[in-house]
Amino acid sequence: MNDVLVGRALAKRFGQTVALDGVDLAVRAGEAVAIMGPSGSGKSTLLHCLAGIMKPDSGEVHLLGQRIDNMRERGRSALRRTRFGFVFQFGQLLPELPAEENVALPLMLGDVPRAQAVRQARDWFGPLGLHGMETRRPGELSGGQAQRVAIARALVTKPAVVFADEPTGALDQTTGEETMRLLVEATKHNGACLIVVTHDPNVAGWCDRTVEVRDGHLLAGGVRA
Amino acid sequence: MNLDLTWRLLKGGGRKGLLGTWLTLGAVAVSMALLLFAVAANYAFEARADRSAWRNPVATTGVQEKGVQEKGVQEKGKAVAIEASRHDFVRDKDITVVDLGALGAEAPAPPPGLARFPAPGEVWLSPALKELAEQLPADQLAARFPGTKGVLGEEALLYPGELIAVVGRKPDAPELTAQRSDDWIIAKPPVKVASLAGEPTEDAEAYQVLALIAGVLMIVPLLVFGGAAARLTVARRDQRLATLRLVGATPGQVVGMTVAEAMIVALAGAVTGTLAYALAAPLLAGIQIGGGPWFVSDLWPSPLVLGGLLVAVPLLVGLSAVVGLRRVVVSPLGVAKRETPPAMRFVRVVVLLAVLAAVPLLSRGNAVGPIAVVIGLAFLCVNLVGPWVVGIIGRVTARRANRPARLLAGRRLVDDPRSAWRTVSGVAMTGFVAGFLCLLSPGVFNSTGVTGQLQIAVPADQTAAVAEQARTRLKEAGITATVKPVKKVVAVALGTSADAATVDRARTALAGLVPGHTPTTDADDEHFGVQILADVRAGTVVVLSVSFLVAIASAGITAASSILDRRQTYGLLRLAGTPLEVLDKARRAETLIPLTVMGGGAILVGAFCAAPFMIGAVNSTGVITLLLCVGLGFAGVIGAGALSRPLLNSVTADPAPRPD
Repeated sequence: MNDVLVGRALAKRFGQTVALDGVDLAVRAGEAVAIMGPSGSGKSTLLHCLAGIMKPDSGEVHLLGQRIDNMRERGRSALRRTRFGFVFQFGQLLPELPAEENVALPLMLGDVPRAQAVRQARDWFGPLGLHGMETRRPGELSGGQAQRVAIARALVTKPAVVFADEPTGALDQTTGEETMRLLVEATKHNGACLIVVTHDPNVAGWCDRTVEVRDGHLLAGGVRA
Repeated sequence: MNLDLTWRLLKGGGRKGLLGTWLTLGAVAVSMALLLFAVAANYAFEARADRSAWRNPVATTGVQEKGVQEKGVQEKGKAVAIEASRHDFVRDKDITVVDLGALGAEAPAPPPGLARFPAPGEVWLSPALKELAEQLPADQLAARFPGTKGVLGEEALLYPGELIAVVGRKPDAPELTAQRSDDWIIAKPPVKVASLAGEPTEDAEAYQVLALIAGVLMIVPLLVFGGAAARLTVARRDQRLATLRLVGATPGQVVGMTVAEAMIVALAGAVTGTLAYALAAPLLAGIQIGGGPWFVSDLWPSPLVLGGLLVAVPLLVGLSAVVGLRRVVVSPLGVAKRETPPAMRFVRVVVLLAVLAAVPLLSRGNAVGPIAVVIGLAFLCVNLVGPWVVGIIGRVTARRANRPARLLAGRRLVDDPRSAWRTVSGVAMTGFVAGFLCLLSPGVFNSTGVTGQLQIAVPADQTAAVAEQARTRLKEAGITATVKPVKKVVAVALGTSADAATVDRARTALAGLVPGHTPTTDADDEHFGVQILADVRAGTVVVLSVSFLVAIASAGITAASSILDRRQTYGLLRLAGTPLEVLDKARRAETLIPLTVMGGGAILVGAFCAAPFMIGAVNSTGVITLLLCVGLGFAGVIGAGALSRPLLNSVTADPAPRPD
């Protein structure tokens, strides 16, 4: 009953290619779910439909009981800004902003005054092991540090759901493990649920549940009994 | 090997790469076409000066003095003809009348455009004057030139459609012996010449100097624009070339590939620009300066110069690309990791201040060359200081920003002031040109003259007799007029309601009344002043138009390339819910903030450089031109930025197209 995000009978085609074909998925508060599958299976499309990035051809998406797939782009964009957080593989930080301003940016977009936004942003640097990195630019951070800054940015607005698309794809195994640990812990600590798209079983191992997508279908574990 | 790899990389650049290549090609084409125009303008004035030299006779004594060290002085010094010229008028157009008389038994070599030296009584008309003489009733024009023998060739004309008559006289004819007015603009006194080669007039030389200054003002922004286009290629390629360095390519190989790629595209752009110029030349030939339009052939530089430009432009683009790649070559990780860019040095400002200090010092002399060089240097220094100032503006903006758009804009300006400067440099440079020209625009002629009145300058002791002859001639022609001798002038009042035809009939009736003198109205007397004013205005409009075209094209291209370069970041920000308006506002602020500061600064520097050449006080026309310029510049850059909004929309609209 306490599902935060629910996708029902989601279908999406790209020309002749069927990306999703009637997928059901529900995620509870505080739950971490891994979506696995080989390349081209439709896992990223599922994430994008759930996050309101793209509209499914059919099916519904509900966030905390409210249908979001039929919203206009402006509404979905606002939703992504305020209720969702995102962590991508790379290229998500603005290279010209120092780390603390990259983290503060979503707050400023929500009309929080700059000084307050930067203060709030700095609070995330210690817990994520980024102390002293506040004024460094992304180009001066290691890959793992940059991903931790991205995690801080995803969580700073206290979102309901955090979406991560191959968050460790550009990192070595040790750094990847550490990044996943921080991502899962911080998200849960923040009371949000986490949806991770990955093809790496080690990454999926950090999540509470794994669902597998093949040829646009969910093989198992989409909706709990 | 490298060339082969470069060619394959160029072809295989994908849609994004190809778009960038097309942008570069287009930018170089625009630069080349406008560069040709700027260069050709100088050749055009030179061609005019050469063609009209025969009407500016050099006295034989002058030739002897000047030619002391030359061979064949005696022969050159021997007078073979007498030449005099004056201006006549029909409707509101002026007619150049050249009187020629052979001194010896043998006819001297004719001036250009004439089949032979005119015998006494023979008249040769330019094609346009002949046509006009046939159109108008004879008593308004043709009767002034009896004995028309032939038509002048193009090589005798200053411009197509020029009205000119060459009249053959006996050397002792009154027209070639009578005293002339002191006003050299209206008439040139009879001069004994050794040949009809002549020399360019002071007017023609002044126009050449002005064309040179205009050329400098146009060429500098073009070079900046061409450089920006070259760096646009580099901006697209830097990641790829840095990767090549990482996998072991030597700096020489990276430089070689960059230069080859930039030069292949630039050569194609230069050829395209030349073709575009060839198509536009007939239209450009219609620009009226110095009394008329141009022969299309005037607007083409010599094949050697054209070939030189076709080689120089790709070389300059290649050089600019190398400079842009310096950091990749020095440190491959520098670009790959996007480190903090090095800060600009204050020495740039010191250089500008030094050059500005030199402007008033050098302008004390009359040598135009050094002054033109200093103005060119000041112009280049504005370009040198620009990125430094943009960096400062960025720091201030970022420090004070409380909204995301301004913060993004400020940080972006600090991160890459050169790129931001490239977007606004065109308009800032135009600001310099406008600031320079606004002080040079002379005031408007306010004619207070009497309408319907002709005046003829007359020797003081002949006024009464000439007035009587004028009355007789006008009466015979059936023209009602009041003729009065006033000091050294005979005034013929035709009445304020006299139309142009009546005035021309009176001119025709009075033609030759005082040999070497032409009856003129007040408007005729102001004709050349008005023409110079019109020329300065036309020149200003041409220079500003070229500068604007460059500025706006430059702003559009850099705005588009900036979006393409940052498409991944923009896409992910949009995907994470950043409103498009914020991204667009940041992008616009990134242009408008430095534009406001730099535009104003450049205008002031331009005005400062023009101050030593100022003609009288600042006039309203100049200020209006300046305001229009600034307004159009802002509107143009905002428009160019707005045009790239759909591109921003498209690169961020579909951030996840892959069916995974």
